[in-house]
Amino acid sequence: MIRSTLTISNRLGLHARASAKLTKLAGSFKSQVHLARNGRRVNAKSIMGVMMLAAGQGSELELEVEGPDEAEAARSLKALVDDKFGEGS
Amino acid sequence: MSIQVFGVAVSGGVAIGRAVLIASSRVDVAHYYVSEDSTLAEVRRLTDARDAVAAELSSLQRELPPDAPHELSALLDVHMMLLHDDALVVAAAAWIRERHYNAEWALSARLEVLARQFDDMEDAYLRERKADLEQVVERLLTMLETGGRGRQELSRAQARDFVGEEQLVLVAADISPADMLQFKGSVFKGFVTDVGGRTSHTAIVARSMDIPAVVGAREASRLIRQDDWVIIDGEAGIAIVNPSPIVMEEYRFRQRQVEVERARLDRLRHTPAVTLDGQRVDLLANIELPEDAATALAAGAVGVGLFRSEFLFMNRDGALPDEDEQFEAYRDAVIAMQGLPVTIRTIDVGADKPLDRMTAQELRHEHSLNPALGLRAIRWSLSEPSMFRQQLRAMLRASAHGKMRILIPMIAQAREVKLTLEALRRAKEQLDEQGRPYGVVEIGAMIEVPAAAICIEQLLPHFDFVSLGTNDLIQYTLAIDRSDESVADLYDPWHPAVLALVARTIAAARSAGRDVSVCGEMAGDPAFTELLLAMGLRSFSMHPAQIPTIKQRVLRSDIDRLSRVWPSALASADPCAAVRAWQDAATRA
Repeated sequence: MIRSTLTISNRLGLHARASAKLTKLAGSFKSQVHLARNGRRVNAKSIMGVMMLAAGQGSELELEVEGPDEAEAARSLKALVDDKFGEGS
Repeated sequence: MSIQVFGVAVSGGVAIGRAVLIASSRVDVAHYYVSEDSTLAEVRRLTDARDAVAAELSSLQRELPPDAPHELSALLDVHMMLLHDDALVVAAAAWIRERHYNAEWALSARLEVLARQFDDMEDAYLRERKADLEQVVERLLTMLETGGRGRQELSRAQARDFVGEEQLVLVAADISPADMLQFKGSVFKGFVTDVGGRTSHTAIVARSMDIPAVVGAREASRLIRQDDWVIIDGEAGIAIVNPSPIVMEEYRFRQRQVEVERARLDRLRHTPAVTLDGQRVDLLANIELPEDAATALAAGAVGVGLFRSEFLFMNRDGALPDEDEQFEAYRDAVIAMQGLPVTIRTIDVGADKPLDRMTAQELRHEHSLNPALGLRAIRWSLSEPSMFRQQLRAMLRASAHGKMRILIPMIAQAREVKLTLEALRRAKEQLDEQGRPYGVVEIGAMIEVPAAAICIEQLLPHFDFVSLGTNDLIQYTLAIDRSDESVADLYDPWHPAVLALVARTIAAARSAGRDVSVCGEMAGDPAFTELLLAMGLRSFSMHPAQIPTIKQRVLRSDIDRLSRVWPSALASADPCAAVRAWQDAATRA
């Protein structure tokens, strides 16, 4: 199990398209991926769950990955968030 | 009776037509219990509908026209993922099995639960995303209702029914981007929706498709009846229902004006700016935000002559943009200009309270000392070396994405030149160390201090190009602060001293083989076009809206003939009158 903290830094926060990217990436791993914010814990492979986190710019998310490819999954997800979902804003 | 419905203006222009109401199927979904032994069939009905909607969305995705805004494809993707999310169909199926709800009921009940959570969100932009969920559910409900025929069939049939009739506008509780795509190129000339805001996906798509639209007009779909006459004023965010003949006439007139103006722009847009004697002239745009690049292209600009970077820094409550944010803004502008050159000016503000909720204009009033003569522009940048290098690094990084030039404001002293070039060298070294790529960047000086214009020959060897900032050049040459009403009438661009400095700069740059342009207001003022052409200027940068007017001037100019008469105009004590006389003579000839 790997736990880490992600900070959403893109301007629009975890909006629909960003959530879609995150969900897709999470779904590509065998590990269980969960995100938590303000006491709400969701399955990161569900776009609805991710959108429901209502994570605006600057919010912090707790990432929890458990499974055979957990290291790789945690690394890739962090990279995506740090890259502001490749959208550059 | 005529009524007005107020909403949010999201996409400009005027549309006039008869209302076509697309009723929301959610309002009147059937609620009934299904018997124990038919729950399986009901679940099946729901999953079939989901699969049919999925097929519909993929076929929309496949058939996206090449000119569709690129957001659309991403949004269709989001809708597809929502459709397949367990929280929706799987959860609704559970309610069919457990509570024996019919499929429509289970689905709309699930939507309500999910929608409430969106409503509770604090972030307005994220809250708006509820619309995506609603649109997906809407599609599912329509699919259930039509027994698999689906939305596409329905709207196609509706659109077909109206072909050949009067112009139509669409009124609905909400329209999904996917639906709008289907309506594109169809009979609908505009639309009004009850929900949505400036950042709703529907609004974004409307803008990119250039359809007049008013969203967030709350009760519109209830107040407007089928076949009502509706004027959509996308500029003001109003829908006028059953307008009086006078109002209708007024709007028809405005609509024609917009069309005439558009046609004129369109004709000119692709016409190259070439004078009668065959000399090519570059008409460039001044922009303030990366988003303005689209306007610049639409106006036919062949590049950006001045991107004022200070707007990125203003109104931010003191939190300045970091290197990445700046880089992204510069890069976006460079990419948006599709290979045309973009000239970005380093920050042009100053004084001790620099960027916090102040425009440069306010700054001038704020201080009792004379800030126009104080620590501003390059002086300020050089006094904040790490911030300056940060901006230079961001600019250099953007140059890896297209043709880009850096413009330094208010250069006047040899020492400033030296420090600036050193900072640029340092910034490049830092990028090299980090292994970040950057392209070939030309560096230019803004000529706006009389000292720079007078000593232009000494500056030119250090720069690739120069750009005349006529507004400040006039202010400093005549010692007039234009924002001071008591002396504003003395601000005279036609003053022989101003013209002499402009002419001198252009001539010196040309003979040194350097590019020279004017990016002050003079460039966008048609009264100066001929004079500047005669002085040898071939590059004008202005507000995009002025480009067509200046282009028309250029197309009618004969530089060969103009150059023979202009020195006498400059020698006159009243150059304005001299140029006018010369223009009159030219029109008569």
